[in-house]
Amino acid sequence: MPKILKFDALVIGAGIAGLQAALDLADQDFKVAIVEKDATIGGKMIRLSKVFPTLDCASCITTPKMAAAAHHENITLFTYCDLQSLDRNGNGVTAAVRQKTRFVDEEKCIGCRQCEYQCPVYVSDPEQGGFSGRKAIYIPFSNAIPQIALMDVENCTLCGKCARVCPTQAVNFFQEPQDFLIEAQTAVLATGFEVTPLENKQQYGEGKIPNVITALQMERLLAPHGPYNRVLRPSDGMEPDSIAYIQCAGSRDKSMGVPYCSRVCCMYAIKQAMLLSGALPLADITIYYMDIRAFGKGYEQFFQNAKAMGIEFVKGKVATISEGENGGVRLHYESQEDGGGVTSAEHDLVVLSLGMVAGWNPDGHCRISTGSDAFIKTVKPKIAPTLTEMEGVFVAGAAAGPKDIVDSIVEAGAAAMEASKYLASLNRSVKAVA
Amino acid sequence: MSEVSEKKTAEKEAMKKLRAARKETIKRAADKMKKQKNAIKDIKKQLKDKAGTVPEIAEATGIPSSEVLWYLAALKNYGQILEGEKDGSYFRYKWAGNAPEDPGE
Repeated sequence: MPKILKFDALVIGAGIAGLQAALDLADQDFKVAIVEKDATIGGKMIRLSKVFPTLDCASCITTPKMAAAAHHENITLFTYCDLQSLDRNGNGVTAAVRQKTRFVDEEKCIGCRQCEYQCPVYVSDPEQGGFSGRKAIYIPFSNAIPQIALMDVENCTLCGKCARVCPTQAVNFFQEPQDFLIEAQTAVLATGFEVTPLENKQQYGEGKIPNVITALQMERLLAPHGPYNRVLRPSDGMEPDSIAYIQCAGSRDKSMGVPYCSRVCCMYAIKQAMLLSGALPLADITIYYMDIRAFGKGYEQFFQNAKAMGIEFVKGKVATISEGENGGVRLHYESQEDGGGVTSAEHDLVVLSLGMVAGWNPDGHCRISTGSDAFIKTVKPKIAPTLTEMEGVFVAGAAAGPKDIVDSIVEAGAAAMEASKYLASLNRSVKAVA
Repeated sequence: MSEVSEKKTAEKEAMKKLRAARKETIKRAADKMKKQKNAIKDIKKQLKDKAGTVPEIAEATGIPSSEVLWYLAALKNYGQILEGEKDGSYFRYKWAGNAPEDPGE
């Protein structure tokens, strides 16, 4: 019989929406469990360089929330865990959770990274967009929470160096996954998003053309602890003189199965272009767009500021991309300006502004369905946008559809409020029966 | 046999079984590690006495320039490479003297 842990509320996902919902509930004295699939909390936001339109350092404003959740007396973190199922159980929910194997004892590891320094195998590091290498045993990144190492067994030679050097004997080659149950009265789903895969668009090279990167990869190049600590062209380390953004590269595109607008790509491209202007003052930066959607508070001014800084906006949809000369990338597009016509341009580095797709499919895990966009379906999208089909289960952030950080945080607060109301109603029912 | 030596024997036996079970992945990882060691050794040879740019290292070692940059980024992350002066559109890199760990050796 698996171990059963009891909480007032369960939050699935520890990105910015999940953390905010958990903190809002925990501050009301509810006991909260957070289940996160990754080895660290922080979600996509902790991996960003800066945020629009304020240009705040993403790490500087996310880390305090991560630390607040990690140190909150009412919050328990379960990282590197998979949600197997979420079912109604009387007045609450029961989640079946699997703790994946780190092959490192979580209680013993002190995060000293000696194992990582001694490991002889380098592995492409997805946390750095694949532009750098980590080791086969590693801590995800410097401000990951918790600071616990994990082993990538697919790349481990079992040489034993990590175990020999570990000062607390935390390495455990024989660790097994652990199943346990979480019983809670309410749950918030904050399962976030993924970006449309680079490989899905044949016209854009399916990820095979050198120096065509994703916007999330560019976030890493712009981040203070990025792979190169500066913006360089990945094919040869050249500092690019000309950088282009292709908007709607993974949104509003039926051929990719993503007909909707992802709502954030215009603004993150403008943000990155402004950051690039600072990092590479002599570089030409061009944004190829269909139309700019700057709908949030301060967004239009942000767009106008970018234009005033000299960032070039070219109205035209890029049709295809091909390899240019000397590592360059050639874009073929139909210009909608200056009389129009099919034309082409070459750039040193090209960034695809990929869209947002659902991060988690509830099918087979719980009785919640998804909309035609594959995001979690909300039953009252206008008047109560955090309500799902399951009683007592709410949704927050990009799990319910593409949205930016501000909207995700606002919605997380709303979901926490709904969960709090639900908990209060259950308590009233119990008192009435008594 | 003492309790400690019995424990050690059991651990060795368990590791042996684990190695047998993971034979395929260990071979793949070991092959990768061998290739990496050779590449790092070649890069180190180029940079030990003189800083170099990515294209220069690529030309001297025969390693594709994108891979050279990947190795430099990874080695820099673990304190084995230092970024030097800018030379045209490229930066020069040099080997760090006091590397905490050196798989190229």
